[in-house]
Amino acid sequence: MASRVLVQCVRTLARSSARVSVGNLAVRTLAAPVSASHRSFSFISNIERTRLLEQSRILVGSVWCRQYGDLPPLTLESIRDRVMYVLKLYDKVNPEKLQTTSHFMKDLGLDSLDQVEIIMAMEDEFGFEIPDADGEKLMSPDDVVQYIADKKDVYE
Amino acid sequence: MSGSRLPAVTLTLKQFLQRQRVLGLYRSLLRTIREVPDQADRSYLQAWARDEFQRNKNATNQDAIRMMIMQAKNHLEELQRSLALARS
Repeated sequence: MASRVLVQCVRTLARSSARVSVGNLAVRTLAAPVSASHRSFSFISNIERTRLLEQSRILVGSVWCRQYGDLPPLTLESIRDRVMYVLKLYDKVNPEKLQTTSHFMKDLGLDSLDQVEIIMAMEDEFGFEIPDADGEKLMSPDDVVQYIADKKDVYE
Repeated sequence: MSGSRLPAVTLTLKQFLQRQRVLGLYRSLLRTIREVPDQADRSYLQAWARDEFQRNKNATNQDAIRMMIMQAKNHLEELQRSLALARS
């Protein structure tokens, strides 16, 4: 509760005065002893929040955008290679045991959280979002390849 | 009469739904964390989220799990709020 009020204070300060950084610093030093008495969770997120606020100031002016270029058309081969590549880079997967048919949990010894992370990594790699309901059914590299090929209209 | 077709360890419907909810929460937490601008903060938050989920993976008490789900929801909302603040 106290932290929320503090954030509000910081925001109104930022709006009203030009000397944002000075006011911010003062508020933050005030905030430290208060948040120390919180549970550890909110303490951590408090630090995170002030750091986030700090960074946003730097980032505000510049907007990053990605330039899309022509990509070679996807084939089943290239999808499979990229999926396996992502999996090899994932630190909990043993590259020697990895095969296209291996089950994430039964063969590779991963848990359900790892599976969620892998699906998120695939989203990053192929640049589209996999809905939750579909994501949890993908249990082997082959499943993933098949699913991506279906979504991207790759046949053959 | 042949034995049950269900495997030896089966979740009840309630447990199954709770499991879905936990995994969904983890997914949305990761999605939110992905929007954090700084690389160091991002990996720190990812490790934090993972630790929290893994620490409680042996919990079996339904009410305790429900409490933890609520707690995770609160954290998620807090994170989303501060991200929105940071962007504004």
